[in-house]
Amino acid sequence: MEERLYDLIFIVRPATPEDEIKKVVSSVEHACTEKGGKIEKAEHWGTRKLAYKVAKHREGMYYYHQIRTNHGELITELERRLRVQDSVIKYMTIRLDEDLKRQKKLTDKREKRAARRPRRPAATPAPAAPVAAAPAPEQQAAS
Amino acid sequence: MAEEQKQGQEAPAAAPRAEGGAPREGAPSGGHGGPSGGHGGPGGGHSGPRREGGREGGPRREGGPGGGPGGPRRGKRQYFRKKKVCKFCVEKMDFIDYKRADILSQFVQERGKILPRRMTGVCARHQRWLGVAIKRARNIALLPFAGSAAGTQAPRVVVPGAAGHVAPSAPAAVAPAAGVEAPKA
Repeated sequence: MEERLYDLIFIVRPATPEDEIKKVVSSVEHACTEKGGKIEKAEHWGTRKLAYKVAKHREGMYYYHQIRTNHGELITELERRLRVQDSVIKYMTIRLDEDLKRQKKLTDKREKRAARRPRRPAATPAPAAPVAAAPAPEQQAAS
Repeated sequence: MAEEQKQGQEAPAAAPRAEGGAPREGAPSGGHGGPSGGHGGPGGGHSGPRREGGREGGPRREGGPGGGPGGPRRGKRQYFRKKKVCKFCVEKMDFIDYKRADILSQFVQERGKILPRRMTGVCARHQRWLGVAIKRARNIALLPFAGSAAGTQAPRVVVPGAAGHVAPSAPAAVAPAAGVEAPKA
């Protein structure tokens, strides 16, 4: 089975102590390694304003992970862990690989079409050519 | 539920706003709607009057009763029609990332409504993806479901009677979190 790519975002309470956050992040990483997942990206977006109130908070610290795995249980495990954490006020996992596959397909298609019929290069020389051609007759006329 | 209710509630209020928004974008058509669209206004739905206005504008140009003022309006209207190009097609984006709230926020109203295609000029395919991306962004609090944080607060403070109607939005935001916390207890 091909591997699947997931986005995992969770929001931590803004006033959470550093070590508590570390604990959450490491528990996510631990779960990943344990269940045969690979963390492709791990980002910390910092404290952001929430678009609406979540658990009475207007701000939250965003943590973003991109995980590649072929074990779906990993996602349920991660969600279970985040649900249990007091400091995590919101989390979301999204399966991305299908969207990215579609994107790749479309990009390939576009590139193939561009390679077959190079419209852009044809369009740019066209205006350039008359400009280049124009001075030439003048020169001839001058000489 | 609360959100649905709120949306239903907001719809009548928002509709005139959307109408107001349309002329704002196509300012000349709004100006045009002033004199001739006077017919369209009272009888009108949302997008109906605009189209009617456009039809009225057609004969007007040919008949030329508008005369002097008709001239510049006509030019601007054409300009506004021309500018509608799908932004995502221009940039050749094959994937709309839900994480880019800065991009997505250009295609929602202040209160969080998704703007219709006819106003933004996005092509059908990209609008479809855009809708998905916006809904994902809403889920993780990057975009509002309805009403900005300031918007929800203002009525609560100003009108005590309205608090009952507006309040559901806050519990709605809290409710999922409460659900999240419940299982561990």
